[in-house]
Amino acid sequence: MQPDQNNLTSSNVAVSYDVPCPRVVEFPFEISPIDLSPVIDIYSSGANVALNRWPNIECRKVEAELIVGTVPSWKPGWPKVHTVGLAFPEAIEFLPREKESDDSQLEIVRRKKKPEPDSGEEKAVRKPTRLKPPSDALSLEDRLFYILQPPLETMLAGQELIMPFEPFPHQYEGIGWLFSQEAALLADEMGLGKTMQMITAVRLLLRGGQVRRVLLVCPKPLIPNWQREFRAWAEELPIVTVEGDTARRNLIWRMPGVPILMTNYEVMVRDMEAMPEDERPKFDLVVLDEAQRIKNRDSKTAEVTRDLKRKRSWCLTGTPIENRPEELVSLFEFMEVVPARATPDLRQLSKLAGDYILRRTKDVAMKDMPPRLDRDAYLELSPAQKYAYTVAEKEGVVQLNEMGDQVTVQHVFELVLRLKQITNFDPLTNESSKLDRLIADMEEIALSGGKAILFSQWTKVLDWLGERLQQFNPLIYHGGVPTKKREPILAEFKNDPSKHILLMSYGTGAVGLNLQFAGYVFLFDRWWNPAVEDQAINRAHRIGQTSTVIVTRFICNDTIEERIDAVLRHKREIFESVLGAGDGEDVSRSLNAAEIFGLFDLKAKHGKGTRKIAPKKPEAA
Amino acid sequence: MSSGSKERKDQIRLGFMTAVEIGDRSFVGGLLVTDRFGRPLEFQCTTPVKPNRTQELLYGPTLVPFILGDLLGKTLLARISIKPSVVMTSRVEMLQLRPKVDVPILYDEAFSQTEQKASAVEAAHSADQQIRIGRQTFRTHEEFITDRSTVERISLQLSDDANMHEPLERVGEALRETMSTVTARPRVA
Repeated sequence: MQPDQNNLTSSNVAVSYDVPCPRVVEFPFEISPIDLSPVIDIYSSGANVALNRWPNIECRKVEAELIVGTVPSWKPGWPKVHTVGLAFPEAIEFLPREKESDDSQLEIVRRKKKPEPDSGEEKAVRKPTRLKPPSDALSLEDRLFYILQPPLETMLAGQELIMPFEPFPHQYEGIGWLFSQEAALLADEMGLGKTMQMITAVRLLLRGGQVRRVLLVCPKPLIPNWQREFRAWAEELPIVTVEGDTARRNLIWRMPGVPILMTNYEVMVRDMEAMPEDERPKFDLVVLDEAQRIKNRDSKTAEVTRDLKRKRSWCLTGTPIENRPEELVSLFEFMEVVPARATPDLRQLSKLAGDYILRRTKDVAMKDMPPRLDRDAYLELSPAQKYAYTVAEKEGVVQLNEMGDQVTVQHVFELVLRLKQITNFDPLTNESSKLDRLIADMEEIALSGGKAILFSQWTKVLDWLGERLQQFNPLIYHGGVPTKKREPILAEFKNDPSKHILLMSYGTGAVGLNLQFAGYVFLFDRWWNPAVEDQAINRAHRIGQTSTVIVTRFICNDTIEERIDAVLRHKREIFESVLGAGDGEDVSRSLNAAEIFGLFDLKAKHGKGTRKIAPKKPEAA
Repeated sequence: MSSGSKERKDQIRLGFMTAVEIGDRSFVGGLLVTDRFGRPLEFQCTTPVKPNRTQELLYGPTLVPFILGDLLGKTLLARISIKPSVVMTSRVEMLQLRPKVDVPILYDEAFSQTEQKASAVEAAHSADQQIRIGRQTFRTHEEFITDRSTVERISLQLSDDANMHEPLERVGEALRETMSTVTARPRVA
């Protein structure tokens, strides 16, 4: 069939070809007629006729298909967001302790400030104390734990913790440091408030649920002091002192739900040794006060202390090194920062000290604190003292020389003690140039209503002085005074204005007591170890002291005291040159055997001549 | 103080949520839940989210609000097990999450002024949206003015002296610590 060419002009007619176009398209426009008679020059082939034939075109109407070409598809898909979580321990609430009427002297201040509008330019107050992760916290969780704690100021204020007064900046720093340390040695100079820092750090750890059971070990005479300090700084924390007979103590050790146990070194050693190992109590934190008590790593106290089951180990001491830097190793061993029996060298010790010791001196931490004035009183012996002294020295030295190589440090030491006693007073006539000077000074102090503390090495000297200082109503505090009577003595000295002088022994009175209401300190005789002397002085020269503390050291001219003083000064200089002057006070300059021998020019007969007597050097291990 | 009011006080949980941009346009978010004293109870942080080039082109200016709000913020609020009574944020983009969650979200405007420039998506807001908690003033979402009364009740239980900036700083620091730890960790082949 021939298609009608005129019909192909219609716009709505779809044209379908069998070949070669496969698709049917509807043209929405006019189409021109197509000349279907192509003129082709071709060779004759028999099939050419077919080329002249009209193609067979069929027209039909079809539905239009609108298919839009696609580009690559995109959906707003995001990878799944993962999270890392950290949960904190639950806090413990303590009920506030009921107020005791006799604590009224303590000015309790609620640390809640008046609201200040935030104008965008907040007052540049002191920078808040943020907790830092300890250097040995390696896991991210541990580090985040500390980073996410609020600043100490917020912690203390926010939890409405009642404190007697606002801590000083160095105390905030110390609390924050302790809080984040598992092993810590707080070695602030005496008088900077180590006790308060420790109590507050324990308080925060307990309230934050990080520790639940704490053991505090301290020298026996300091237990009442700690009890008083806990009442002042953390009144809501229940404390139980391990005391009484064995059965009672065993009961206390095993008592559940007691957050803070307090005991002294002797009781701790005795009770732990008596207890089977698997029955010994476990603690989250063990605090050793006056931790130099374990400086000898082979001592029973050090061994038992190391065996205490604990997670955190803290030490407090104002004198981390009393004689040799190696003494620190025993403390580090307790703190488990060195392996057992380790012998770190000085460089390693210094590195460990940087990580685990916090030490501040008053010069740096408490610039506003009234100064301490040291005045060494060089005195001439009275005639009777001078005679007694000369005789004793000559006889003593002769005796020692005669002993030759048999002489021991003990023999020399006995002579030193005898001479030191004579410098205090002549035993025959009771003459004493030191007493004369003391009375003169005390008259002035008493007239101005002041109070003084006097330290001596001997309780006998204290009793002797007590009899001779009656006009100043002296009080005596030494190891011979029963423990129960000691606190009342301190309270009487503080509160009774007629009591002008407190006579104390170095052994009992030098550590842990707060006597900042006394403005004068007398060192009637010299201790072997200036660190102990410093501790004694710092009973008065400590936080809370409002006036200058005047320290008088009595040194008798041309006596053993002068020679001891010279040796100690020299040693202090050597230590300062090694450890730095800023931290010189923590190093004790105790006399060793060679130095005790060196106080006298001892010589033994040697053939026709003499030779110097000196202690034998210890054999190498 | 009666035991009833003590109980209510103890139930207050404050949420502090923020996000930080780490190098190469990646974002991590963190949510800290504390008690009313600011003591931490739970912390969640996200893994980093980094948009690709296509996402950057197609999301345009809505990219960061989407990542911070819909991706990070929503995930954090879903994952935290201690549910906060109110969430404070230093990122205005996270405020836009409010219609999608059932906890009031407050934006700490003063914080952002010190920490970052105001975002382009920040809308004008009225005084009705402003509310004071502790020492800081926050802004509610413009469509959730009623959050104000809820937050006011919570605010009464908090100290007037409370610093609400500070926990947000903690979260920021924790996020930076997390990222520095993660990036410092050697890759295992």
